[in-house]
Amino acid sequence: MRRALVAMLIAPLIAACGDDDVGGGVDLSRPVHVVLDAPPPALLSAWNLFAWDPVTGGVTFNPTDDRVVPYELNTALFSDFAVKERAIYVPPGATATFDPEQAFDLPVGAVLVKNFAFPADLRTPTEDVTLVETRLLVRHADGWQPLPYVWNAAQTDAVFTPAGEVRAISFVDAMGAPRTSSYLVPQKNQCETCHARKLTADATATIVPIGVKARHLDRAHAYGASGTMNQLDRLATAGLLAGVPALGDIQPAYDFRTIEAGGVVAIPPADVDAAARSYLDINCAHCHAPDAVQGITSQLFLHHANTDLFRLGYCKRPGSAGTGTGGFEFDIVPGSPDTSILYFRVHTEQVGAMMPLLGRSLLHDRGAELLHAWIAAMTPIDCASM
Amino acid sequence: MFKRVATTMTCGWLAGLGFVAGCGDDAPAPSNSCADVTGTCVEIKGGDVDALLTALNTIAPGTTIVLGEGTFAMTNSLTIRTAGTHLIGQGLDRTILDFGGVTAQINGIDAQGDDFLVQDLTVQDSPKDGIRVEASTGVVFRRIRATWTTPTDSTNGAYGIYPVKSKNVLVEDSRAENASDAGLYVGQCQHVIVRNNVVTGNVAGLEIENTQYADVHGNTAEDNTAGIVVFDLPGNPIVGRDVRLRDNQIRHNNHDNFAPGGTVQKVPVGVGTFAMASRRVEITGNTYEANDTADIALISGLAIESDGTKWELATATLAGEWQDLGLLPGAAGTITNFRSENIVVANNTHAGSGLHPDPFDPLMLGTLLILSYGNGNPVDSVLYDTIGEPMFHSTNPTMNTNANHVCAGGNTTGTFASMTLATQSVTTIIPFFRPAAPFAPFDCTALAGGPVAEVVLP
Repeated sequence: MRRALVAMLIAPLIAACGDDDVGGGVDLSRPVHVVLDAPPPALLSAWNLFAWDPVTGGVTFNPTDDRVVPYELNTALFSDFAVKERAIYVPPGATATFDPEQAFDLPVGAVLVKNFAFPADLRTPTEDVTLVETRLLVRHADGWQPLPYVWNAAQTDAVFTPAGEVRAISFVDAMGAPRTSSYLVPQKNQCETCHARKLTADATATIVPIGVKARHLDRAHAYGASGTMNQLDRLATAGLLAGVPALGDIQPAYDFRTIEAGGVVAIPPADVDAAARSYLDINCAHCHAPDAVQGITSQLFLHHANTDLFRLGYCKRPGSAGTGTGGFEFDIVPGSPDTSILYFRVHTEQVGAMMPLLGRSLLHDRGAELLHAWIAAMTPIDCASM
Repeated sequence: MFKRVATTMTCGWLAGLGFVAGCGDDAPAPSNSCADVTGTCVEIKGGDVDALLTALNTIAPGTTIVLGEGTFAMTNSLTIRTAGTHLIGQGLDRTILDFGGVTAQINGIDAQGDDFLVQDLTVQDSPKDGIRVEASTGVVFRRIRATWTTPTDSTNGAYGIYPVKSKNVLVEDSRAENASDAGLYVGQCQHVIVRNNVVTGNVAGLEIENTQYADVHGNTAEDNTAGIVVFDLPGNPIVGRDVRLRDNQIRHNNHDNFAPGGTVQKVPVGVGTFAMASRRVEITGNTYEANDTADIALISGLAIESDGTKWELATATLAGEWQDLGLLPGAAGTITNFRSENIVVANNTHAGSGLHPDPFDPLMLGTLLILSYGNGNPVDSVLYDTIGEPMFHSTNPTMNTNANHVCAGGNTTGTFASMTLATQSVTTIIPFFRPAAPFAPFDCTALAGGPVAEVVLP
C-alpha cells in the first residue's frame, strides 16, 4: 500500500528527468539514512531526505513512516531573498520534546533540513528555480553538527562543502527590479556564528537550532493532499513532537507575509510593535541576546522576551560599533528612525556597517520599512539630553 | 587531499609551540613544512583557498596547517573552531592572506579554540578585524603582519591583531599597520606578553584593555595617532591590573585620527602613552620622542564617562583577582574601576615631544595644553589629571595630595605636571602644579603592594 503511494509520488519526477535518478541517489521508497558514526557522506542524496525536481522546482520529502515533516516560520530570517524550504526529521521510535521558549529538544539522529533556492524572478517563485545549498543540522549524542551541502550546476545532487562558497546570484525582485547578491554559503565552522549559545553563563558555547521554537512554528501550513493544519498539531499528530500544549497557550510570532506582500501599510498600526519585535527576534537575537555568544559585548538585546527598553536600544550608545554607527550616537532614538543606528545598520548595504553581519548582502526593503515604522511610532525621547 | 605527516624531530628542533627557521640555518626567512612538525599536519599549496578552507573546517584537534608561499585570494574568513590549530606560513612577505576581495563582513582569521598559533604570514585588508582570537587559552601570534594596504582609510578594519577574552597570550615579532581603531589590541585577557612588535599607521598603536598581568616590552609604536595605551572601559567584568610597559620605543605618534566613530575617534593626535582607569601599572625605561601632544598622560576614567555609576561592577561577576586592589566601592555589592591609581613612571627618556598639542582634540585636552603652556613651549613629559585628589595647589607641594599613589619620582629625565583637569575651563585656566624632580608629593618610586611580577606563560 505505502509502496504504491510512493511510486505514484515519484512517477512524475522520473518522467520529467528521463532516465536519470531523481536527486542523484535518492530513493524515496527507502527510509531516511542518517549517519552518526562516520564522516558525513559526500553527497546529500545519501541521506535520502528529499527529492528535488529542478524542472518543477518541487521538493518531495521522504514519506517513509511520515518522519520528515516540512515546516515554515511566522517570520523568517532574511537571507538575500533566498526562497527557503525546511523540514524536520525525527528518527523512528524517538520524539522531540516541546519547549515553550527555547528550541525543541530533538532526539539523537534528528535532522533539520533547510534548502536555499533562488527563482529567476521572485514574482514567479516556482519557475526557473536554482537550488543553491542545503544545510543540515544533525543531532549527535554530543550535540548538533552543521553540514553545508552545495548543489551542483546540473542540480542533480549537492556536495558536502565544508569550505562554503561565495556565489554571485542575480534575480528579479518582487518589485521587478534586478538584484545581484554576493551570496555566502557559510563554511562549516561559520555556522556557529549564529547557532552558538551559552546555555548557562559559565558554559562553553554549544550549537543549537534557531527556528524550531513554538512561537515560530505556531501557524497553519498546507500539507498538500493531507490538507491544511497547524504545524505544531501536525508534528504532534505524526508522533514527532511530545508535550504540545493547547495552542491558545502559545503566543505566536507575527506573520510577516502580509508585510512582505503589501508593505507595513498592509497591517494595522497597532500590530507594528509585535511585527517588528518578531522580525528582530528571528533576524538579530541569535547574536543579540543574553545567552548568545557573538553579540553579547554589545549589550543590545533584541530577543522577543526583552522588556528592558535601554537594552532594546532606547537611547543606548553602542559598545564599539566603529563604521557601523553611520555617524549616529544611539542605537534607537525613539521617534527618529533616521538618526537611529539600528535602522541605519539594517538599511545600509555598506560592508562593515551592515547588520546582520552574515547572511545579508542586500537590503531587505520590507524588513527595513517595518523597523522604520516601528521606531517612528515610538514616543519621542531627546536622547542627547538624558 | 591532505598530506598527513607524523614525523619525529630530526635535528635540534625546539618542542612546544616554537617553529623557527630550519635546522642549522640562520637565514631570516623561515622554511616551514610538515616535515618540521610533530603530530598531525596538513600542507596547503600557496594560493589554494579551497583546500585551506576545507582543511580548517574538517581538521581534528591538534592539527598544524602549513601554508605554502603565495597569495591566498580569500572570499571568506578563516573560521577556526578546533582546539590546537596551528597556522604557519612561509614568512610575512611570502604567505599573504588577502581579504581585499571579500564581500562578507568577516574577520580575516576568526579563531576560537585553546592552543591556537598563527605564525609567519600576513593578513591584509580584512573587512572587520585582521586576526581575532576569542575565548581561548594558549594563544600565540608570532612573526605575523596584520595590515590594510591603504593607509589612513576610515573604512579599514577596526583591529589588526586582536586577542580577546583569552588567557596565556603571546604576541611577538609581529607588525600591525593602518587599522582604523587599534593595530594591536589586547582586550579582557589574562597573562599576556607582547614583545618586539611594530605598530604603525594605526589610530591607536597598541592597546591593553581590561587586562590582567601584561608585560609589554621591546615594541616600537610609531606614526599612530596614539602610541601605547592602557585602559579599562566601563562595564567589563575584568578589572585591569599589573601591566608593565617597559623598554618600548614610542615616537612620532602624530597620525591623523581617521577612526570612523566610537570612543577612539576622540583620542587626541600626538599622544605617546595614556593610562586611563588603570591600576598597578609600571611605565619604565621607554624612549619617547616627538609625540606632539604629550608623552604620558595618567587619566581617570571619569574623563571619558563622568557618571561614576556607569563604572560600577557587581563583585559577584568579576573575573580574576581584584580583592587586593582596594577598589573604590560603588553601590552595595559593587566596586568601581574608574580611578587611575598605583602607577609608577620611571627611567623613561623624553625628547622633542609636546611641542604641538592637538588643537582639534574633541576632549579639548590639546586645547588646554596650548592655553596652559603657550604655543611652542614643550608640554611636561608626564601629565596627571589630578582627578580624585582631595587637595590641589598650583605651586605649593604640601598643599597637593597623592591619594592615588602616582609615582613619578624615578622619572628624573622628564618633567611632571598635575593638571587639575576637572576644574579647568578654557576661559579660566588654572596654572598646573609643575614640581621640580623628584616631583613631591608624587616622588614615590614603587607600587604599593610590590612591583608587577614577571609574566610567565606555561
